[in-house]
Amino acid sequence: MTKSIHHQFFFPHPPEMVWEYLTNAELMAQWLMKNDFQPIVGHEFQFRTNPIPSLDIDGIMYCTVLEIIPFKKLSYSWKAGPGGGKITLDTVVVWELQSKEKGTDLLLEHSGFLEIENLSLYNGMTDGWLKNVNKIAERLNAKYGTTII
Amino acid sequence: MVQPSFDAFQAIADPSRRKMLRLLSKDSLTINSLGEHFDMSRPAVSKHVKILHAAGFISIQDIGRERHCTLKQDGFHHLQEWIDYFDKFWVSKLKKLETLLNNKSQNKK
Repeated sequence: MTKSIHHQFFFPHPPEMVWEYLTNAELMAQWLMKNDFQPIVGHEFQFRTNPIPSLDIDGIMYCTVLEIIPFKKLSYSWKAGPGGGKITLDTVVVWELQSKEKGTDLLLEHSGFLEIENLSLYNGMTDGWLKNVNKIAERLNAKYGTTII
Repeated sequence: MVQPSFDAFQAIADPSRRKMLRLLSKDSLTINSLGEHFDMSRPAVSKHVKILHAAGFISIQDIGRERHCTLKQDGFHHLQEWIDYFDKFWVSKLKKLETLLNNKSQNKK
């Protein structure tokens, strides 16, 4: 099963030009999403798009800049959820630029989906437990009356 | 209402079965290879697998002589849906970036 997303794109342009489009908020908005990115490690920013009902996320990606090596590497965390501060997607996006003779190789890795799976597994179990404990309580109540509790 | 023979609560009440789910969350496994992680007989492993299957936590597929267990994503927030979504998302965004960059350098000429 895939746990991360990988893409490689070649652009017949110098790394500096590609880098601009990865790190300038206005240029990023032209192809990615509206955002308040700043190329500073530790900077917290958001990408905003329309809600995605199929994934139950509200369309806001909560990000923190993790690493910047000018013209070579950029990474940020990429979190999202259904709203109200709840995070169900906790992933990391890494961009790498490799200077080539006639342009730039741009490598994208979007990873961390496994942790979410574990988290969901845990959440699913917690909910399951709660639901079923209630169910058992109901059965007990039906059998012995409600006086036990 | 028809009661399922094993509900989720019963299925995950057992530590071995919880461990099986964790192992399967990393990769799908045959019943044999799943059993290698446990100090129990093959019939005992099969029994646990049956319970997990009945409760809807896993699916079982026969490939050749082996039975392959896979976590059912339904109950688990649809991990693959997330990955598929963002996979397509990035491809379409990167194509957009490609167009932008190409247009820009054409304008310069």
